[in-house]
Amino acid sequence: MSETATNDILPEFSGFFDSARQHRLAFPCCRGCGAFHWYPMPRCPHCRGNDVEWRQVSGRGTLFSFTRVMHAFDKSRAGALPYVVGLVEFSDAPGVRLVTNIVDSPLDALRIGQSVEPVFRLEDGRPIVEFRTA
Amino acid sequence: MRVESVAIAGIGATRPMRRSPKGLRTLVVEAIEAALSDAGLDASQVDGVISDGLCMPTTVPRDWVAAQFGFQRSYDGGMSFGGAASASAPIHAQLAMTSGLAKTIVYYFGVDWGTRASGPYGFHDLYAGKLAFEKPYGFSGQPQYFALWARRYMHEFGLTERDLATIAVTQRESALRNPLSQATRPLTYEDYYAARVVSDPLRVPDCCLISDGACAFVMTSLERARDLAKPPVRVLGTGFGSEPITGDDVFTQPAGMMRIPGARIAAEKALRQAGIALADIDFAEVYDCFTISCLLQLEDIGFCKRGEGAAFIREKGIGIEGGLPVNTHGGLLSHSYLLGVEHVVEAVRQLRGEAGPAQVKDAGIGLVGGLSNPDYGVMILGRDHR
Repeated sequence: MSETATNDILPEFSGFFDSARQHRLAFPCCRGCGAFHWYPMPRCPHCRGNDVEWRQVSGRGTLFSFTRVMHAFDKSRAGALPYVVGLVEFSDAPGVRLVTNIVDSPLDALRIGQSVEPVFRLEDGRPIVEFRTA
Repeated sequence: MRVESVAIAGIGATRPMRRSPKGLRTLVVEAIEAALSDAGLDASQVDGVISDGLCMPTTVPRDWVAAQFGFQRSYDGGMSFGGAASASAPIHAQLAMTSGLAKTIVYYFGVDWGTRASGPYGFHDLYAGKLAFEKPYGFSGQPQYFALWARRYMHEFGLTERDLATIAVTQRESALRNPLSQATRPLTYEDYYAARVVSDPLRVPDCCLISDGACAFVMTSLERARDLAKPPVRVLGTGFGSEPITGDDVFTQPAGMMRIPGARIAAEKALRQAGIALADIDFAEVYDCFTISCLLQLEDIGFCKRGEGAAFIREKGIGIEGGLPVNTHGGLLSHSYLLGVEHVVEAVRQLRGEAGPAQVKDAGIGLVGGLSNPDYGVMILGRDHR
């Protein structure tokens, strides 16, 4: 199995990072059918239309699921265990679930359905969007 | 046009291990040698070669295999990847045989993910969306994907850790009856609860092993297989199913999460072709990359309803003497992680009555389910009642 090193930010992904730099969340939304999708694709996966725009959302979300990671799948994280990966849904962007880290929160009390809000930072010049309980 | 009845005439498997000193090419060669010898066939009689369409072409390609054995290929194909490819291989064989392109077809699959530095996780770097939006958050391993599914499933359907433990404990009992299993120590419920958490709620025993190894099987017409060395195992039906969702999206974005829609599609096709119902299945070899994914596939194949997987396993029993023996060799959890190809080989062993202490009594029809999310393959195999 080859593990191809691709350019990890494709042109159709850039809207997310451009917004995150301004501390805002945006997701691709189809002008034709009005539905959001994720991950970003040139064609709306719902109506197959080509008229996709980036639409900003409030950023307030709810926790769909989460896991405390106790194993360093990526060796560079060996010193950062455990950490929490959350999957967040947005009422103003139905159809999008964002993979993120839950930070600055009482992690032992996390529960599905909990309200969360974004925390923006840069890592090596690249925007990272984490969430904390709201 | 007469549609050929496909049979599996020979099987071959290397002894799987965490790290093999041999190298994947050698393992594949050994598996194919064993399968040909098991069938009593000479390499000169092979005229078709099939593998999966993603892993093998970059590690042990079909042309390389053909050169090693001197196979004169008139058919060469690869479909889907990993588990779905192994379980749906007879689709290719039947097409090739029915159209007259080939008569004797070798399928092979193997991995060296035990040795390879990136292990099973390097795979995910092939996906642009995962690289951009998941890896920076430390979300880059299959156990994490299924941990998210398991927690959400617990929330929606009341699944307990004990339910997951039951799968791991039962399959370990089956593995201990198989001399080739990588797992050699018993697993009790206490051991399960004491095991290291990988990505909660999943512990080490919820996750498949990591292995180096290879398997192969030979397919030919039922008529011809009857003249070969071993009693043929009939392919009663095969199905392939998927959903149009990308590999980036399939673990986090589907509207109906914690489902494998391809499994239902593939199972319905295979059952229709076989002309049987799930109630006729004596045992099942189901792609158990994780305890939770095994449970979900039992639901999606249709053995029980959505949300009832845990109750089904508890009440029916999935051990060798259970109502539906599942993963009789120990599966990916306790035998080896060869992405489901060993499941096919084990089903053949069961139907030939060669499974030793793991033999399911009166095993007449077995189902193999192979997952490569979102792709899914189902193969239904039966004894040849002549």
